[in-house]
Amino acid sequence: MTRTAFGRPLTPWLLIVPSLALALFIIGYPLYNIVFQSVHEVSRFGLIRDFCGLDNFRKVFADPIFIASLWRTLWWTLGVVGGTVLVSVPVALILHQDFYGRGVARTIVMLPWSVSLTMTAIVWRWAFNDEYGMVNVTLQRLGVIHAPIHWLATSNWAFPVEILVGILVSVPFTVTIFLGGLSSVPGDIYEAARIDGASAWQQFRKLTLPLLRPFINMAIVLNVIYVFNSFPIIWVMTQGGPSNSTHILVTYLYERGFRLGKPGEAAAVSLVMLAMLMGFTALYLRIQPKEGEGT
Amino acid sequence: MRINARKLRRSLICWLALSPLVVIVLFPFAVMILTAVKPAEEVFVYPARWLPSTFRWANFADMWDATKFGVALKNSLYVSISSTLLAISVSIPAAYAMARFPFRGKGLYRSFLLVTQMLSPILLVIGLFRLAAMIHWGDGNLVDKPISVIVAYAAFNIAFAVWMLSSYFATIPRDLEESAWLEGCGRARAIVKVFLPLAVPAMVVTAIFTFINAWNEFAVVYTLIRSDANKTLTVQITDLVAGRYTVEWHQVMAATVLATLPVSVLFAWLQRYLVKGLALGAVK
Repeated sequence: MTRTAFGRPLTPWLLIVPSLALALFIIGYPLYNIVFQSVHEVSRFGLIRDFCGLDNFRKVFADPIFIASLWRTLWWTLGVVGGTVLVSVPVALILHQDFYGRGVARTIVMLPWSVSLTMTAIVWRWAFNDEYGMVNVTLQRLGVIHAPIHWLATSNWAFPVEILVGILVSVPFTVTIFLGGLSSVPGDIYEAARIDGASAWQQFRKLTLPLLRPFINMAIVLNVIYVFNSFPIIWVMTQGGPSNSTHILVTYLYERGFRLGKPGEAAAVSLVMLAMLMGFTALYLRIQPKEGEGT
Repeated sequence: MRINARKLRRSLICWLALSPLVVIVLFPFAVMILTAVKPAEEVFVYPARWLPSTFRWANFADMWDATKFGVALKNSLYVSISSTLLAISVSIPAAYAMARFPFRGKGLYRSFLLVTQMLSPILLVIGLFRLAAMIHWGDGNLVDKPISVIVAYAAFNIAFAVWMLSSYFATIPRDLEESAWLEGCGRARAIVKVFLPLAVPAMVVTAIFTFINAWNEFAVVYTLIRSDANKTLTVQITDLVAGRYTVEWHQVMAATVLATLPVSVLFAWLQRYLVKGLALGAVK
C-alpha cells in the first residue's frame, strides 16, 4: 500500500526507457535490416537492388560449403559443450573438496576466462606453429611424436584442435556454475548416505548428479548459445581454412559478408542461425517443465 | 594430527587429478610470456627451446613502436571506458526499477534483456554495419568512428549490467530508504543520500566487468573500424597475425602480454564478485 502511495505507476517505466531505447535501437534496427537485406539483391557495396524473394536463401543452401559449415557448427557446438560439461563436473567436484591450495587451484582453473578469446586464439595459433610452436617442441621432447605435425594446416587436425581450445575457454564459466550448485547442496545428506553405507560412486550417482541436474541444464543452455555464436577462435586460428575445412556458420557468414562481398547471402545465413537458436530455445523450454516435475 | 595427514593425502590426490588441466591452462601463459622475452633469433630456430638464453626486455620497446601499440592502447581505453559509462548510466535506473518496483511489463522487459543476450553481435554484424553506414556523422558516416563501437558495446552490455546491478540492489535493505522517507526525505533525495552510497560497490564491480567485456570484444570493432588510427588492441594485434607470411611472433607475444595481463589480474581478483552477482541474479 505504502509503496503505491509513493511511486506512481509511470516511474519504473521512465527508469527503464533509456536502456530499452538504446538496446532496441542497436539490436532492433540491425535485425530489421538483416531481414530486409536477406530478401533483396545487395551489391558488394551495400546498394540495395531488386527484391528477390528467397533467392539469397536458395543460393546459400545450394552452396556445399554452407551445408558443410552447417554440419560442422553442430559438431562444434556438440563437441565443445559436451566436452566442457564432461571436464567441468569432475573439476568442480574436486574444487569443492577441502584441500590445501584450493584457492590457488580455483584461480588457475578460472584463468582462461580472464583472457579475451582473440588473444587466447593468437597464443594457441603460435603454440601450434609447425616448426617453432611449443606444442610440437614439447611433444617431440617427450617422444610422443617424431616429426612436427602441421596442426593448423591439416584439415583433420585443425578442427579438433579448435574444439579443444573451445573447451578450455568454456571450462571456467561452467565450473563456476557447478560450484554454485554444489555449495547449495546441504552437507548432512551425505552424512546420512554414509551412515546408510552408500559408496562414493553411489553418492555421486544418487545424490550429487540429481542435485546438479538443474545447474548442468543451465550450463548447457548458456554454453550452447555462447559456443554457437563463437567467432574469434576459428577466425583467428584458421580463418575457416585450410580449404574451408574449419568453417562454422559464423565464420562462413563473416566471410560471405565482408570478404566475398555478398551481404544479402550473409544476411540470409544470419537468419538461418537465428532460426536455429530459436528452435533450440523452444526445444529447451519444451523439455524444461517436464524435468521440473520429475525432480 | 591424524586429520591433517588425511587432508594432506586428499590434497595430493586433488592436485594430481587436476594436474592435466592445470598444465593445459598454464601452457599458453608460459608460451606467451617466454616468447615475449626471447631474442628474435631464438624464436625462429629449429628445434626451438622453451627457455630464452637471455631475457630480452627490449622486445617490448621494439614492439611498442613497430605495432603502434600506444595508439591501439589509447583507442581501447577510450572505447572501453566510454561504452562502460554509457552502459552503466542507462542500466542503473533500469536496475533500480527492477529491484524496487513491482510493475506491469517487468517480466516482458526481463525477457527482452534475455533475447538481447541471445542475439550476439556477430549475428547482427551485417545489420550493424548497415546501420553505421546509414547514419550521417561529420563529413561521412559512422563507419570507422569510435562512437559507433561505443554505442554498440553499451547496448550489448545492458542485459549483463542490469542483471548484475539489480541482483545487488535487491540485497540493499529497503527499510533504510523507507525510514529516510519517514524523516521527511523525498524519494529522489533518499536515493541520492541513502541508496546510492550503499550501491557504489555493486556499480564499481559491474562497471569493471563491462569494461573487461568491451576490452576483450573482437567482432564488432573488427567490422566497424577500418583505419589503423582507430583500431583497438584486439584488432590491431590480430592484424599482426592474420593473413601474413612472416609474423614477428616475439613482438606479437609481447603485445598480447601487455594487452592481456593487467586485465587478467583485475579479473582474477574480482572474479568472486562476478560469481556472486550472477548467482544472486539466478536466485531471484
